[in-house]
Amino acid sequence: MDAIIQLIHVSKWHDRKAALSDVTLEIDKGEFVLLMGSSGAGKSTLLRMLIGEEQPDEGQIFVHGKNVTKLRPAEIPYLRRKVGAVFQDFRLLPKKSVFDNVALPLIVQGAPEKDIRRKVTEALRAVDVEHKKDQSPNSLSTGEQQRVCIARAIVNGPVVLLADEPTGNLDPERTREIIELFKLINARGTTVIVATHDPHVLNQVNRRVVTLVQGVLLSERRIGQGVGA
Amino acid sequence: MRINRTTTIVAVLTTAFALTCVGIFLLLYVNLRNAAWSLQEDVKVMVYLEDRLPIEKVQALERKLKIDRMVDEVLFISKEEALGEFRAQFPSESHLLEGLGENPLPASFVVTLAPNFRSPDAMKSWVERVQTMEGVAKVDYNQEWLSLLAEFIGYIELVAIGVGVLLSAAAVTIIGNTTRLALLARREEIEILRSVGATRTFIRIPYFLEGAVLGACGSALSLGMLKFAFELFRQEIRLTGRFGGIDGMLSFFPLSVCLALVLAGMGLGFAGSVVSLLRVGEGRV
Repeated sequence: MDAIIQLIHVSKWHDRKAALSDVTLEIDKGEFVLLMGSSGAGKSTLLRMLIGEEQPDEGQIFVHGKNVTKLRPAEIPYLRRKVGAVFQDFRLLPKKSVFDNVALPLIVQGAPEKDIRRKVTEALRAVDVEHKKDQSPNSLSTGEQQRVCIARAIVNGPVVLLADEPTGNLDPERTREIIELFKLINARGTTVIVATHDPHVLNQVNRRVVTLVQGVLLSERRIGQGVGA
Repeated sequence: MRINRTTTIVAVLTTAFALTCVGIFLLLYVNLRNAAWSLQEDVKVMVYLEDRLPIEKVQALERKLKIDRMVDEVLFISKEEALGEFRAQFPSESHLLEGLGENPLPASFVVTLAPNFRSPDAMKSWVERVQTMEGVAKVDYNQEWLSLLAEFIGYIELVAIGVGVLLSAAAVTIIGNTTRLALLARREEIEILRSVGATRTFIRIPYFLEGAVLGACGSALSLGMLKFAFELFRQEIRLTGRFGGIDGMLSFFPLSVCLALVLAGMGLGFAGSVVSLLRVGEGRV
């Protein structure tokens, strides 16, 4: 299978402490990967590097064929248009409606009005919040807000969907719903990477699990395989 | 407006005040220059002839002056005409000349130079040349007065430029700081826009436009304040009644200059936003 993401001997230091240490990792197109590890393990750092938010101190990173470490600042926005991101703190604009929040990735690309309406409606329908499209995000429950966030991340039809602790603010029931949503998105062909330290998520997702401990890739597990480094 | 209302109003008012100060000097310079120009238009050069110059030499000199490309008009005033004018202008003093017997007043040519040669330097060089001509006793014009006026206007021009540069820099700084406040207030929104793939241009353009609008509003307001003050001043002069006719000579900026000043204000505002966005730093906006 084609690798859509490649990390080759990637290391990163923050204040002389290793956030990531010699990480080599390949993720194939269409995979669902759980990035597990406790707080400070390096999960968020790894995800930020995939969207050019941080640059590694050593090594190279390839996303959808592009060497992220060699991209010029002006090229980073175009990488981010291919990679959807979901955050623990949702990062929705409170003064805009649900519809306008989800439309944001299309607006910044200059998409025509007709396309925006169609794609946003499809995305809202896919996460089951279409009936709330005219409301402000602040009037929604945390589970619904996270769904809106996911809708915004997939509205562009990204090749990769990254989620950094997407269920951190949710109860177990909402967590289960959100993970099912990710599995549905993955079933449609999008590569999904979910960073989490929540064991409930691990129980729900029996796919590939990559474990980080203090910046070191400790173990990997795929379906039907034993634990391996 | 991305910037909150109070900050916007303060920025527009402060910019307007700064640009009004520039406008005062500019208006003073423009009116002084117009006055100087009008005086120069009126300046006549008196070419006094030697006493008892033969008529052929007078005519030859007149021909020479008339074909000079720097000369617009030449008017001959004979000794008798000069005496008649003296008596008409100074009727109470005309008895002084009667005691002398012979008419002491010389014949002269009243010369008006061509419009392109009315500057103090051009006049001076023409006068120096004519003074050497045969039959010319003396050449006279208000050279000292004109030179002083030209010098004074030169100083006003320098001060206007200096004040203009300083206060324009102040306007750029005010608007730049206003833009920076707006950026800081909206940094979360900007982060979200960046995370969904907004380019730097997409994020920056609204702030550039708002800076330009602030600058244009400040400039337009300053013109309004200047016009109000100008009309008040003109009315005061008229009411005093002492400077007869001066209020008619004063003029405000023509429409084309007003539009240019508003555009300049827009440019300053735009520059302020650019400076501010550059100072925020690479990658952050």
